[in-house]
Amino acid sequence: MESFQQAFDLLISLDKELLQIIGVTLRMSFFSTTISCLLGLPLGALIGTRSFRGKSFLKKLIHTLMGLPPVVAGLFVYVLFTHYGPFGSLNLLFTVKVMVIAQVILITPIVIGLSSSFIEGTSKPVIDTARGLGLSKAKTVGLCLSEGRSSLLSVVLSAFGRSIAEVGAVSIVGGNIQWKTRVMTTAIMLETNKGKFSFALALGIILLLIGFAVNALASFIVKEPADD
Amino acid sequence: MIEIRDLKKCYGERTVLDLPELTVGDGEALAFAGPNGSGKTTLLRLLAELLKSSGGTVKKPDKALYMPQQSYAFKGDLVRNITVTGCEKSEAKRLLEKLELSHLAEKKAASLSGGELQRLSLCRVLSVPCELLLLDEPTSACDAKGAALVIEAIKAYQKETGCTVLMSTHSPVLAAKAADRLIILNGGRIEADGEPKRILMNPENEWAEHFIAGWKI
Repeated sequence: MESFQQAFDLLISLDKELLQIIGVTLRMSFFSTTISCLLGLPLGALIGTRSFRGKSFLKKLIHTLMGLPPVVAGLFVYVLFTHYGPFGSLNLLFTVKVMVIAQVILITPIVIGLSSSFIEGTSKPVIDTARGLGLSKAKTVGLCLSEGRSSLLSVVLSAFGRSIAEVGAVSIVGGNIQWKTRVMTTAIMLETNKGKFSFALALGIILLLIGFAVNALASFIVKEPADD
Repeated sequence: MIEIRDLKKCYGERTVLDLPELTVGDGEALAFAGPNGSGKTTLLRLLAELLKSSGGTVKKPDKALYMPQQSYAFKGDLVRNITVTGCEKSEAKRLLEKLELSHLAEKKAASLSGGELQRLSLCRVLSVPCELLLLDEPTSACDAKGAALVIEAIKAYQKETGCTVLMSTHSPVLAAKAADRLIILNGGRIEADGEPKRILMNPENEWAEHFIAGWKI
């Protein structure tokens, strides 16, 4: 109860640092989810609708990458962007941009894997019907997206959920720097390490509330008729 | 004109369709009948280019439409389910009227019964003009009245557009009333080919006779 009270107090006090952490968290999750979906959804559609040599191997590879440990992704990106790494000259380490890059590496396989499974399983009758009617490819894709919008929303929300809850990669490449790269999860980890369990729990409750609000907003935007 | 030469479809070692030669004239209405697995749907899907053949050649009109056996209900009402083809709302309503579905026009397509959905699927395909109409068991989910409406609508569309119609069926009524020609398939091969009433009354061989006897029951 103390944690709930503290979470409520933190929110209504409009604590500047908390608001800044929420802002960084949402900015990072928005960009990593958007980029992952822009890359992953078309690739998922291609894999889901086409037959080609090596498809089975590619699917196994994607399914393996879906379980990529965040610390491994974080370490990989750290090596790439460290001062002596191939992209060191960009000076991106310990910025929100590199946190987004690490998350895109983590999330894109999830988007590809989930969307290709959905498209493979449920869009076949839509594609058959559309092709049978002689509709253009663009119109067929439009119909698949329209018919599967609730499933696609689940894919996007899974990607967002993975992003907002991720801690391993962002703490390695972001460094959990106060007023700069600290996000909700790294803040929770810090407060837990300091022994401030109640405060850490309060942050956790706020994180859950943010997740719930984003889910509710997305479900409202992609509204499904009740009798469909 | 449709000209099929040495058309084959195999899945591994199994040959599901093997047609050395088949010609269908312009404006002809041809029904395919045969037991499950005889190659009816495979042939229609090959002609609709939804399947790739394992060999042979097919010459056919460019503008072909295909209505699958499993009708799909798009999200939304019946009118929207037809206008996805790009036709006008007025045309969609005219077709719904013709297939006696206009009283359901505002309903969600997902709420239709199997027979109603099949008639809606036919409305959708008939909303687009074509040269070749491919129908996979268009009356399989319909009751007698629904089947009569479907047959009437197919015949009217054919008269209006002059298209060639190829349909698969398990219904001797559909074969006799909607087709000028009936082909009976067995194991992917042609067992009988001719005018429907003649085939139904006087099958060409023992296997066809046995198959038609089953229909009569």
